[in-house]
Amino acid sequence: MEYVNPEGLRLDGRRPLEMRQLRAEIGVVSRADGSAVFEMGNTKVIAAVYGPREVQNKSQQINDQAVVRCEYSMANFSTGDRMRKPKHDRRSTEISLVIRQTMEACILTHLMPRSQIDIFVQVLQADGGTRSACINAATLALADAGIPMRDLVTSCAAGYLNSTPLLDLNYVEDSAGGPDVTVGILPKLDKVTLLQMDAKLPMDTFETVMQLAIEGCKAVANYIRELLLENTKQLEFRRGV
Amino acid sequence: MVGLSVGEKHFIKGGIEQNLRTDGRKRYTYRPIYVETAVIPQANGSARVKFGATEVIASVKAELGKPSPSYPDKGKVLIHVDCSPTAEPAFEGRGGEELSSELSVALQRCLLGGKSGAGAGIDLSSLSIVEGKICWDLYIEGLVVSSDGNLLDALAAAIKASLSNTALPKVQVSSAASDEQPEVDLSDEEFLQFDTCGIPAIVTLTKVGKHYILDATSEEESQMSSAVSVSVNRQGRICGLTKRGGAGLNPSVIHDMISVAKHLSEQVINKLDSEIAAAEAREEDVP
Repeated sequence: MEYVNPEGLRLDGRRPLEMRQLRAEIGVVSRADGSAVFEMGNTKVIAAVYGPREVQNKSQQINDQAVVRCEYSMANFSTGDRMRKPKHDRRSTEISLVIRQTMEACILTHLMPRSQIDIFVQVLQADGGTRSACINAATLALADAGIPMRDLVTSCAAGYLNSTPLLDLNYVEDSAGGPDVTVGILPKLDKVTLLQMDAKLPMDTFETVMQLAIEGCKAVANYIRELLLENTKQLEFRRGV
Repeated sequence: MVGLSVGEKHFIKGGIEQNLRTDGRKRYTYRPIYVETAVIPQANGSARVKFGATEVIASVKAELGKPSPSYPDKGKVLIHVDCSPTAEPAFEGRGGEELSSELSVALQRCLLGGKSGAGAGIDLSSLSIVEGKICWDLYIEGLVVSSDGNLLDALAAAIKASLSNTALPKVQVSSAASDEQPEVDLSDEEFLQFDTCGIPAIVTLTKVGKHYILDATSEEESQMSSAVSVSVNRQGRICGLTKRGGAGLNPSVIHDMISVAKHLSEQVINKLDSEIAAAEAREEDVP
């Protein structure tokens, strides 16, 4: 199948190095300590953060740092074909783990000993790149909850189809069987905290694809930073400062 | 989980007694209702409904299926509710399952009537395409995104809004021999809308102390002795009834609660209908 047509356009009309439309909103779940919706094109996820709070299960308590927990769930209506999936399949357990590890790397857990931070991500619509969208939503929700972080982790995926590196794959491109590189970075510290790839790629192509994904992450980081700044300005305005 | 001090509990109960609740409402007032339709593009119909801080999403997916042998002239409708852990950390893992099933069963009872579909808010015979062979199966999925009490009323409202947003493709049946499975052709252009005026609204009255309140928040729900959910349609008929909560109720109190719920339902249905109409008008404005 042709994923990039001769004019250089992808199936959804994007250019190979173009991202999908980003949209995010902070504070969507009013009862959570922090929450956000993050959309990348048709992929839409909600993240809610509860904590830092008392550890629920005392045996998990760590004396010199906070416990970070994460649960990823997909709504039944999030995919195109209706399927009743068991709630804890391998895939969601793995994604929960990936998100937890990525967020743990940036939260200053040592500042909140003997406490617990819960991150819940819920996929409302899945159209490829849910992993990335979940991490971006979780970052925003953590920032909204006012949890101290080293940096804003952002994530983006890139792939390689029809000998063209493609940024931010959608579902059709994702299921094409080509390589899919998901990268998560700490943009200010310039460090990679998440890297996953399936399928095979020559070494030098991998470098360009990964570089592309990193550029994507930086674009997301800029967007998130702008959004947080805007949100803070609004909060400031409401307080009458 | 709601943690309240003795003083707070007293304050909530006292407020209800004096007909002035903690958020300034009277006993029989709803929180502001917000409806948004067509929120899930993959579904045939969907809606998001907010009652104050409670937020639920409902989606309708239609598939062609085979009617059950006992009711060959009727389609099938299934309601399933999921409680997302974003709403409450207690819903994590299998924690939300109990509440999910309680809500699913209550909705099924209140909206779909008995097994035969008699008294259903949705006309099940309108889902039949070829008797005994093909019918529409409607899968209604509810998702609780944020929970601040009164989930049942919110879910019922979301389901009604999503059904009124639902468009079923028109089906062309090519006539085949009587014992074969007929071939069908789905139209991409012509869609059928649902008639939603028969769908009842659920009115939940929560009993706190001696009084009942409408649209309780989760703080108020934590103080309830019992709650009665009545589903009432536009004609003022009662379509279903569920009682929740541990404490027993006097039969005369139940009768009184039902008549209060019936009286309030008219205003709720009108409010909801106008919100749904407004949401659909907004959706048409933005192409």
